Amino acid sequence: MTDTMATAEAGPATEVAVGGRGLRIIHNLGWAFIYLGVLTLGFVVHQLYITSWFAQQNQPVLAQERIEQWGDTEITEVAVVPTADDPDDSGIVSGATGGEADIVAPEPLILKVESPPDDGVAFALIRIPKLDRLAEGWNVVEGVGTQNLKNGAGHMPDTALPGQPGNAVISGHRTTYGEPFRELDALDPGDRIEVETALGTHVYIVRETRVVSPTDVWVAEPRDGAWLTLTTCHPLLSARQRFVVFAELNFGPNADVIEAMT
Amino acid sequence: MITRTWRILPGPLPVRIVEAIALALIVLVLLHFFYDWLGNTILDQGGTVG
Repeated sequence: MTDTMATAEAGPATEVAVGGRGLRIIHNLGWAFIYLGVLTLGFVVHQLYITSWFAQQNQPVLAQERIEQWGDTEITEVAVVPTADDPDDSGIVSGATGGEADIVAPEPLILKVESPPDDGVAFALIRIPKLDRLAEGWNVVEGVGTQNLKNGAGHMPDTALPGQPGNAVISGHRTTYGEPFRELDALDPGDRIEVETALGTHVYIVRETRVVSPTDVWVAEPRDGAWLTLTTCHPLLSARQRFVVFAELNFGPNADVIEAMT
Repeated sequence: MITRTWRILPGPLPVRIVEAIALALIVLVLLHFFYDWLGNTILDQGGTVG
């Protein structure tokens, strides 16, 4: 009788103890989720708004730096000889005496070359009239390190400068730090891209767009002629792939010379 | 957690307020660097290749 009573009394007490521990676990788990939610929300706000706000605020400072950089840039003129694909440009003319043809060197063309900017310095302005975000222009700094790209867009070192022969590569953020290249996937072949440097305005025409892997370094390799390659993360809100735009120089201080060279 | 942290702050009320603000600023700066690193790792690497 006594044992039965003791068991009956111990039953509810044990249930309360177990229930109390369970409730505490649920309570703590609930708070952990709340903290996790607040941290995640903070991350989203920080990445989408705070980084962009800082990048936007820095644009006038970079514009001033770019203008100063243009003043310091040394521009040299390099004589280049056009290729002889076209017989008219071959430099070979018939001899006036009616004898053997006299070989005359073709008249050299003058390529304007600007001195390379220092790492982190704003040196160019990229403008894409079709895209709202870039219609007014965005400053491009030298370098594509994490710190460089906090300003939005950077020129890859060891690739050609915009307006020069080769392949000028500019990378930019798509969802953070001012997201200058957010709408890059709206570009189609034939669209116009303008890049302003100390030399003047170089106008490129989009030839191709494609999605590649982040390890596809071939997109930055040198090319014949003068090209501009823009790269950004893809898809939106992910760093899984890269969206790449290939554009060819169409007009600018060096356009005619480079066309004659190729 | 916030209440518990407030309780363990030493000193009178004005001092605790200053301590709490300083602590909040430290946490915000640490969070900024953490978010920065996380964003550059998983969200947007700036579009670089290689």
